[in-house]
Amino acid sequence: MKIRAHTVSDGKAEGEAVVYNGPFSFLGDLDPATGKVPVPRHPLEGKSLANKVFVCTTGKGSSGGDFAAWAAKKNGNAPAAIICLESEPVLSGAVIVTGIPTVDRPERNIFELIKSGDYVKVDATEGIIEISTK
Amino acid sequence: MLLTDEEKRMMDGEYGPGTKRAMELLVKYGDSFDAEKFAPISYGHISYDFCPEDFWNLMTERVGRTQHRVTTHPSYSPEIWKQWGLPLADNWAGEHERKLKRFLELGWLRTETCAEYLLGITPRKGDIVSMGGSCMQVANNSLFGARVDRMGILISLAAAVCGRTPLMGLLLPENRYASHLVELDGLDVTNWTLSHYHCLGYYIGDQIPGFKPVAVNGLPPNVPFDFARALVISMPTSGAVTLAHVVGTTPEAPTLEVALGEKKPEHVIRVGKQEMTKTWERLNVWDSDVVEHVAFGCPHATIDEIGRIANHIEGKKLKASMLIGASAPVEALARRQGWADIIEKAGGHFQPVCPSITNPFTRRDIAGEKQAKSAATNSARCAHYLSTVCGVKVFFGTEEECVKAAITGKWKGEVPK
Repeated sequence: MKIRAHTVSDGKAEGEAVVYNGPFSFLGDLDPATGKVPVPRHPLEGKSLANKVFVCTTGKGSSGGDFAAWAAKKNGNAPAAIICLESEPVLSGAVIVTGIPTVDRPERNIFELIKSGDYVKVDATEGIIEISTK
Repeated sequence: MLLTDEEKRMMDGEYGPGTKRAMELLVKYGDSFDAEKFAPISYGHISYDFCPEDFWNLMTERVGRTQHRVTTHPSYSPEIWKQWGLPLADNWAGEHERKLKRFLELGWLRTETCAEYLLGITPRKGDIVSMGGSCMQVANNSLFGARVDRMGILISLAAAVCGRTPLMGLLLPENRYASHLVELDGLDVTNWTLSHYHCLGYYIGDQIPGFKPVAVNGLPPNVPFDFARALVISMPTSGAVTLAHVVGTTPEAPTLEVALGEKKPEHVIRVGKQEMTKTWERLNVWDSDVVEHVAFGCPHATIDEIGRIANHIEGKKLKASMLIGASAPVEALARRQGWADIIEKAGGHFQPVCPSITNPFTRRDIAGEKQAKSAATNSARCAHYLSTVCGVKVFFGTEEECVKAAITGKWKGEVPK
């Protein structure tokens, strides 16, 4: 299945989906040393986002999100691609600076169509999400 | 994006590789938000210490002195941390010094504070400022009516290099009206302290989705500056609020109707005693009552705060270590008043550092084995970061409770009824 979306940061990537129906900050929600979510009581606590196609609602939190993303990317622990409902300046800046392919404003309800574990291809340059269910 | 001839020259590399890279980045960033063009900034604010060195070098390579003013966020002082005997201070020295040297070559100002308005660097209503640091973004937007968009630390460096920021978001007057309204419900603010305003702001930030502008209604007119600032700066800690109108106090909110742009709010959030109490309790994360450290100055302290602290601790000896985050000029004034000496004699310290995220006493990667394992503060923002970034136990209370804790080393704070 293919879904059209809006380009935030160019590039192509694919991988296993990790879906979180909430906002995300690279500073605090992702440990750049491990690629895992370190937040106690977070639904994704202990799960790795490294090289995954990460699905969330939007960005949040500190303006330091971009330098945290830079560190995660350098360690090979950043997501391969990000899909979100609507991006915001700190998240967009972070993925553009680090070159993580990212799309937002998908034309269909991604939280119904993508489940954690699905294999997802993102062509952010063309604005196309392709889902193949396991 | 439509570029002017000057912007095209930047993009073509006429001003060197750093400016070219910065402009390319800003164009991608502006395009992703469908910005049509750039706006020149009246000044820019960056953080050289928070910026990774490789990114810093890429952006500043062969950049000349800029025409516009550029200022900087709270900074590190590895040399002083070393004098204090903090074992890992040396790890922070080399990169800090190299970036600082380049920063000064650019002619940029070493303000090193998250509260530049205390130094007289105050935007006028309508001035466009590009900046990193959510605390001063929301303060400049809300308290002075400057036009500041939400922006990350790295993008803010690109904007400072080029003197441009994409015309979008909160720079556009039509996006500045509040969509979310906060109504105070049965709260008597007569005896409220700074900490109450921190607590209220922290609750509100958590309730607002994304960075929607918010209006706070129901406070008395002309809320004192320090209280209004405590209220607005706490919001982007628990959330992402970047513009908060305090009705009857801030420049774009003479009345509720003006703050809302004569429209109905999308959502109304009510805050009463229960919300305040729960938030105050949530900010306290501790088990034993032993206080090893007390942090003031989040955001950086005003001269009045320093005067009050000095008055409380004159002639006393502190049991806990104490750090007051303050800019160098404010510290200099405190010294002329005799207050800095009183505080230092009691055992307190001043630093132009962020006393929350990079507090040298509570960061294990600076203090090593000497890391304080518990800290008290009167700032919700500070409590949040001491707990989540430094991983220490946190006491949140009033300035007076924190000063007492510094003297006795014990927490006797109480959640307000």
